Amino acid sequence: MFTSAKYVLSENYQNFHRIMSISKYELLADMRESKLGVFWNFANPAIHVLTYWFVFGYVFNRKDVGGIPYLVWMLGGMVVWFFVSPCITDGCNSVYRKVNVITKMKFPVSILPMTVVLEKLFDHFCLFVIMVFIFAAYGYYPDVHWLGLIYYLLCTIIFAVSLSLTTSVLNMLARDTRKLILACMRLLLYLTPILWNIEKIGEGMVSKIIMCNPIYYLVQGYRDCFFYHRGFAAYRWSMLWFWGITLALFFFGSYMMYKFKTRFIDMI
Amino acid sequence: MERETAIQFKNVSKIYKLKRKDKEVRKDQKTQYFYALKDISFEVKKGQVLGILGTNGSGKSTMALVLSGIASPDEGEILVNGEQALVAINTGLNKELTGLENIELKGALLGLSKKKVQEITDGVIEFAEIGDFLYQPVKKYSSGMKSRLGFSINLCLDPDILIIDEALSVGDKGFAQKCLGRMNELKDEGKTIIFISHSLPQVREFCDTAMWLEGGKMKEYGEIEDVCDHYADYIEYCHTLTKAEKKAEREEKFKERIIRNRKVGLIDRLFG
Repeated sequence: MFTSAKYVLSENYQNFHRIMSISKYELLADMRESKLGVFWNFANPAIHVLTYWFVFGYVFNRKDVGGIPYLVWMLGGMVVWFFVSPCITDGCNSVYRKVNVITKMKFPVSILPMTVVLEKLFDHFCLFVIMVFIFAAYGYYPDVHWLGLIYYLLCTIIFAVSLSLTTSVLNMLARDTRKLILACMRLLLYLTPILWNIEKIGEGMVSKIIMCNPIYYLVQGYRDCFFYHRGFAAYRWSMLWFWGITLALFFFGSYMMYKFKTRFIDMI
Repeated sequence: MERETAIQFKNVSKIYKLKRKDKEVRKDQKTQYFYALKDISFEVKKGQVLGILGTNGSGKSTMALVLSGIASPDEGEILVNGEQALVAINTGLNKELTGLENIELKGALLGLSKKKVQEITDGVIEFAEIGDFLYQPVKKYSSGMKSRLGFSINLCLDPDILIIDEALSVGDKGFAQKCLGRMNELKDEGKTIIFISHSLPQVREFCDTAMWLEGGKMKEYGEIEDVCDHYADYIEYCHTLTKAEKKAEREEKFKERIIRNRKVGLIDRLFG
């Protein structure tokens, strides 16, 4: 168990340059494909956010959430969703996507989830920049509480990598994994309190179950840094739960990676 | 002087799974197991240049994968002394990126450090003869140009054991000659090289020992001239066969490679 975790960690650490280069050129290649290039990295999430705002904020005419304008409130949670969701869906495909590389050269497979997450991190920063401007327009300026975002960003990265380690191997065993994940993610967008406030459904069983979702911790964490400023300790139970799940995923994912590291070629 | 061992195979077998999707067979016979390599034992010394010969489907490419450590054997044991690298020509090239960027990308994929990539860049550009196309995206390259670029990056690597699988079939004669030249340089440096090809003249010219694979089994392993002569005779013999005879022989071989009654449960595959 620990040997496999150590193996994955050391492989990721030793191949840091490899990870960076792959992410960089993967991004670059993606931009080269289109004429406008980096513009789409900004435009895509912006259009997405506008759609949700139009449907939920404008058409359904949502009221302010605890004194915070709906668009701002939604964006505070949406920003992390738009990072974690592509990380999970693409992370699942990370090994399969590079099948022609891993079957043709000796390659540390366990770094692939990390490369995907780093690639998506760029998009995250793009959306973040847009968000800062919108926040400023509504009178929310960056302050010292935003430093907490660094912690939550790290949480998100570690969670996404851990989950991708597991799903990417499962996806090699059976390609159905990716389809399952895609379907689940679509569902999860609405099951996670991103577009709606968790307080709306009261304190019952349903809310407890929804709070079990590790992404909820990330969304809540981002919002806390932006608006509520309650600090990390206010969410200690969510935190424990989140890290428990993340570590379990990480150990399981590493174990699978370690076990199948020379077997991927037989699975195509 | 006894040279050190670079690679040692001990009764190595590689098994592939074949699935039948048609309805004619009973369910328990749907999955068959097939020996891609069967019970192979040999030893390669440091600095040896080994050529691997064989007809199509004889297990040469599987051999390359097992040798380079990409695939692990299902039975038997492999001892490796040093770092192996398989020359993969077109792998890892991204067609949207320019030649220069691809050198960096592929260098990184192969695990070179930033400094090392910078060191080899000039050499690669020089060797691949891509000239002004360096700043063009690779999708604009001709296929020969692409292969030259990929091959050049590989040849600038510095592994202890180099495995080359059918690589010289790319590019024109001139380029093949150049590659052979570069490989001879590597040979003189004392690298262990394993050269997989079905081109007899190239193997004869380049290698000092040879192995002949047939039907997943090692038929002969020894001095280059002997093995090449026997292989050439075999090819001649194959040419003389009629179509029906050829087919019969092929089926005979295939039957020998099938494994009966091999059951591996799902749980064993996951956690065994």
